Amino acid sequence: MTPIDRIAATNRWRDHSITEKALLGLGLLGLALTTPPWPTAVAVLAVATLAVTRGAGVPVRVWVKILAAPLGFVLTGAATLLIELGPHGIGFAADGLPRAAGLTLRATAAVSGLLTLTLTTPATDLVAGLRRWKVPAEIVEIALLTHRFLLLAGDTASAMHTAQTARLGHVDWRRRIRSTGLLAANLLPRTLDRARRLETGLAARGWNGASLAVLTPKRPVSPRRLAAIVATLAALAALGLADADGLLPMLGMLPA
Amino acid sequence: MSLLAAEALTYVYPGGVPALDAIDLEIARGRRLAVLGPNGAGKTTLLLHLNGTLRPTTGRILLEGAAVDWSRAGLSAWRRRVGLVLQDADDQLFAPTVFEDVSFGPLNLGLGEAEAKARVEEALTALGIADLAGRATHMLSFGQKKRAAIAGAIAMRPEILLLDEPTAGLDARSARRLLATLEELEARGTTLVFTTHDVAMAHRFAHDAVLFADGRIVARGPASELLVDAEVMDRAGLDAVEG
Ligand SMILES: Nc1ncnc2c1ncn2[C@@H]1O[C@H](COP(=O)(O)OP(=O)(O)OP(=O)(O)O)[C@@H](O)[C@H]1O
Ligand SMILES: [Mg+2]
Repeated sequence: MTPIDRIAATNRWRDHSITEKALLGLGLLGLALTTPPWPTAVAVLAVATLAVTRGAGVPVRVWVKILAAPLGFVLTGAATLLIELGPHGIGFAADGLPRAAGLTLRATAAVSGLLTLTLTTPATDLVAGLRRWKVPAEIVEIALLTHRFLLLAGDTASAMHTAQTARLGHVDWRRRIRSTGLLAANLLPRTLDRARRLETGLAARGWNGASLAVLTPKRPVSPRRLAAIVATLAALAALGLADADGLLPMLGMLPA
Repeated sequence: MSLLAAEALTYVYPGGVPALDAIDLEIARGRRLAVLGPNGAGKTTLLLHLNGTLRPTTGRILLEGAAVDWSRAGLSAWRRRVGLVLQDADDQLFAPTVFEDVSFGPLNLGLGEAEAKARVEEALTALGIADLAGRATHMLSFGQKKRAAIAGAIAMRPEILLLDEPTAGLDARSARRLLATLEELEARGTTLVFTTHDVAMAHRFAHDAVLFADGRIVARGPASELLVDAEVMDRAGLDAVEG
C-alpha cells in the first residue's frame, strides 16, 4: 500500500464521478504542457493544490511531500539547461536560468495535474473508467493486474522489512545492507506466491480468467462541479492565451 | 449417496513434498464436518482439492457420485456448488471496497445487478459488517477482513462451503456470531466443512470429525465421541477436550 493508494481510497473526493476528476486532472496536465510556464503553470499548480488540499482534504504536508518526490528528476533535467558547451568550453548558458526555471515549473505543474487525478481516484476506479471508455479489455486487465501485483510486492516488502527490523536486521549499516539484499532476493518468489494464492481465491469465487467485474457504486456527474471545473480550465486556458499574445510581457520576465 | 467425496486421494506438491496419502472421505449433505490435525497435516491441501484448485496426483473426487469434470466449464459448474474461504483473507480480497469485493462472486454467477446487490447486502448483514460496506478492503483489521472474505463466499449461496480455519484470529464474540451465521446458512441448505485448531469449538459445533496426521486420516467419527477420546486424539497429535 503506497501513500498514494491510501489517500486515493480515503479522500473526500473518493465518491465523486471519475469523469469530473479525470477532466480536471488531465485538463490541468494538458494546460501545463501546452501553455507557457509563466503564468499558467503557476496557476495550474495553485489550482491543483487547492483541489487536492481544500477539496479532497489531503493534508498540505502530505501533498507537498508527494509532489516533491519526482522533483529530483525534474531538477536534474533542468540543471542541464544551465550549462552549455561553447567555443570556450563549458560555460553558463545565456538564457539558462529562465529556461531551467520554466522547465521546472512546467514539469511540476504537469505532475500536480496528474496527481490531482491519481490521489483522488483509486487505481481500480481508473481501470473501471478505462473499460467504460472502451479501452480494449486486455489492456485494462493487464493494467489492473500490474497494479495489484505492485501492491502485493509493496506489502510483501514492507512486511519482510518489519520482520527483519524486529529481529534487529537493520541496526547498523552492515546488517542493513545484508538484510536489504536478502529482502530483494526473496521478494519476487514471495510476491509470485501471493499472486498465485490470490488467483486461487478469485477462482474459488467463479473467476474464469476473464473480466474482474464488481458492482461499482454509481457516481453520477454533478453538473455544478462539472461547470466549476470547465470554468476553471477555461480561465487557465485564457490566461495562457493572453500571455502568448504578449499581454503579460512584464510578468513573463519575472522568473529570470 | 454422499454429496462430495474423495477416493484414494494422493497429492504430492511439485518439488516432491507429499501432502496427502490415499485419503478416502465422504461429505454427507447437512452434516457439519470438522477437519482437525496438527500444522502441516494436509488440511488446507485437502480443501484445495475439494473445489478443484489442486488436481489429485492419483485418486478421484466425486460430486454426487460422478467423477468431477476438469474442463473449464466443468470446473466452473463445480465451484458454483462448492465455495471456499481461504485461510488468509488477504488472498481473497482484491476490490477497492468491501461492497465491491463481495459483489464479485454473485456477478460471476451471472446474477443481475439488483439481485447481486441484494445478495451482497444480505451477506454483509449476516456477518455484521454492513457498516463496513464502503471501507477499503486493505484498511480493515484482521478479523474484519476475515468476515469480508467469508461474506464474499456466502453471497454465492453454495451447496457446500469449505472454510479453512474460519474462526482463527476472531475474538470470542465474533467467532460465536460467525458460527451462528453459518448455522443460518446451513438452514438454507449449505453443507459446512471446516478445518480448525479449536478442538472445543469443533466439539460443540461439528456433527462429524476427521483427524489428519502426516497426510493420512487417522480417525473419523461423530465429533461428540471422537474429540473427547484422549487415546484417539493423541494418535493425531492433538489434545482431547475435557469431557
Ligand atoms: N505450495 C506448496 N508447495 C510445496 N509444499 C507445500 C505447499 N503448501 C503446503 N505444502 C506442504 O504440504 C503439507 C501439507 O500442508 P497444508 O498446508 O495442507 O497443511 P495444514 O494441515 O493446512 O497446516 P496448517 O494447520 O499449518 O494450516 C506440508 O508439509 C506443507 O509443507
Ligand atoms: Mg492450513
